Amino acid sequence: MAERVSVTFTLNGERRTFTVAAGRRLLDLLRDDAGLSGTKEGCGAGECGACTVLLDGRPVTSCLVLAASVEGRSVVTVEGLGGASGALHPFQRALVEKGGVQCGFCTPGVAVTGAAILAQGISEPGERARLLSGNLCRCTGYSKIFEALEAAREGSNG
Amino acid sequence: MDLPVQDVLRPRSLREALRVLADHPGARPVAGGTDLVVQLRDGRRQAELLVDLSRVGLDGITETDRGIAIGAGTTMDVIATHRAVRTHFPALATAASQVGAWPIQCRATLGGNLANASPAADTAPALLVAGAAVTVASARGQSQLPLEELFVGPGRTSLRSNELIVSVLLPVSRTGAGRRLVERFVKVGPRREQIISVVCMAGRVVVAADGRLELVRLAFGSVAPTPVRARATERLLERRVLDDRLRQEALGVVQEDVKPIDDVRAPASYRRLAVATLLDRFLAEVARG
Ligand SMILES: Cc1cc2nc3c(=O)[nH]c(=O)nc-3n(C[C@H](O)[C@H](O)[C@H](O)COP(=O)(O)OP(=O)(O)OC[C@H]3O[C@@H](n4cnc5c(N)ncnc54)[C@H](O)[C@@H]3O)c2cc1C
Ligand code: FES
Ligand code: FES
Repeated sequence: MAERVSVTFTLNGERRTFTVAAGRRLLDLLRDDAGLSGTKEGCGAGECGACTVLLDGRPVTSCLVLAASVEGRSVVTVEGLGGASGALHPFQRALVEKGGVQCGFCTPGVAVTGAAILAQGISEPGERARLLSGNLCRCTGYSKIFEALEAAREGSNG
Repeated sequence: MDLPVQDVLRPRSLREALRVLADHPGARPVAGGTDLVVQLRDGRRQAELLVDLSRVGLDGITETDRGIAIGAGTTMDVIATHRAVRTHFPALATAASQVGAWPIQCRATLGGNLANASPAADTAPALLVAGAAVTVASARGQSQLPLEELFVGPGRTSLRSNELIVSVLLPVSRTGAGRRLVERFVKVGPRREQIISVVCMAGRVVVAADGRLELVRLAFGSVAPTPVRARATERLLERRVLDDRLRQEALGVVQEDVKPIDDVRAPASYRRLAVATLLDRFLAEVARG
């Protein structure tokens, strides 16, 4: 029998403690233990980006993160991007308005990485494309995702 | 699905981590997990006990009078954007910026890239041309070894199970008046981002005022059981003035420096061609100045 370990961290702004199997992935903790099913599992191998969440503000693929290793840190999922009120992040709103969502499977990961790109103030198109290259989308062709990024940036600049 | 491990320990200091490793010979350290989690999941590696290094404090880049020391736990995004690394070791900064996509770079550590010992590890050629030395620690103390002595074969290093990589030291030397430093990292693969190198190359050359190549270091990934220096080619080029004849000669000699194999990503013949092409382009840049 695998040991169980306790892990305490900030999840979408709230301090939470979970007791999970030693080998639990952060992805499964989020979906199964915390009931936050917005984060998706695609490849399970770090390649598709569907499981992207913010760890201390930086995007990471939660399918490769050991749940026990986030002790004391801060995790934000797609559910928490807009803050504690449950509102949508400006980039999420822009994705809806610009038609940057089709089947929606990649969307939680795209929303998280896009929010991180905006938070870092990166506006150069080539650099944005490079930073989003780990979030695979087989529907949109990306142009509407980039339009939404630009709209969200303009929106936040007033 | 949970990973097939029995337990995970989370030491809070290097000392504690080294003691845990000394006490549990079957334990395996995990840093970013971007190699190990995939291997555990696919059953390519087994580990009863994981030792999570996230709180050991192995991350950070420090500039000393001996050079730039990069902590083993430093992630690729930090290395790629660090000012001193970009100035003195641009090949390493470029290599780090091409290890997977952004969400991988925010987790993938330098120590993990080296300890995993893939012949395709992108930072390895860049560190080889930088003349990197690796600081290794066990509960008994620390020691330093040239990076080349770390790599033994595909997925195999000279590390013992009770040892950790602590940091990597890159000696900074003054290029000097009238001299010119050219350093590059280039990788070949089917897509620009998030791709394991089919071949990668790092080159570091110092051109003296009289046009002679004062220092030549060339290294390749994915063309031998370990990342390798192209020693014969370096010897051929050093202290010579680069002209078309010498360049052609180098493209022949470099074939002897590498031992590529056929695999799922490319046949050996393609890799040989890529090695010559990457070297040719690099030497063209050196000649252009
Ligand atoms: C989608 C994807 C794309 C990738 N693309 C690339 C790429 O383009 N180029 C490339 O080079 N790599 C790539 N990788 C591989 C991987 O991201 C890197 O090798 C990474 O640097 C490994 O670091 P880590 O911290 O995640 O290591 P981990 O997975 O935590 O560990 C790897 C190995 O190193 C050991 N280890 C870790 N830290 C230490 C230490 N301090 N001392 C001793 N042993 C230690 C572990 O026990 C384990 O055996 C990719 C991986 C994925 C999933
Ligand atoms: S499910 Fe994590 S990257 Fe694909
Ligand atoms: S909307 Fe379908 S994968 Fe992106």
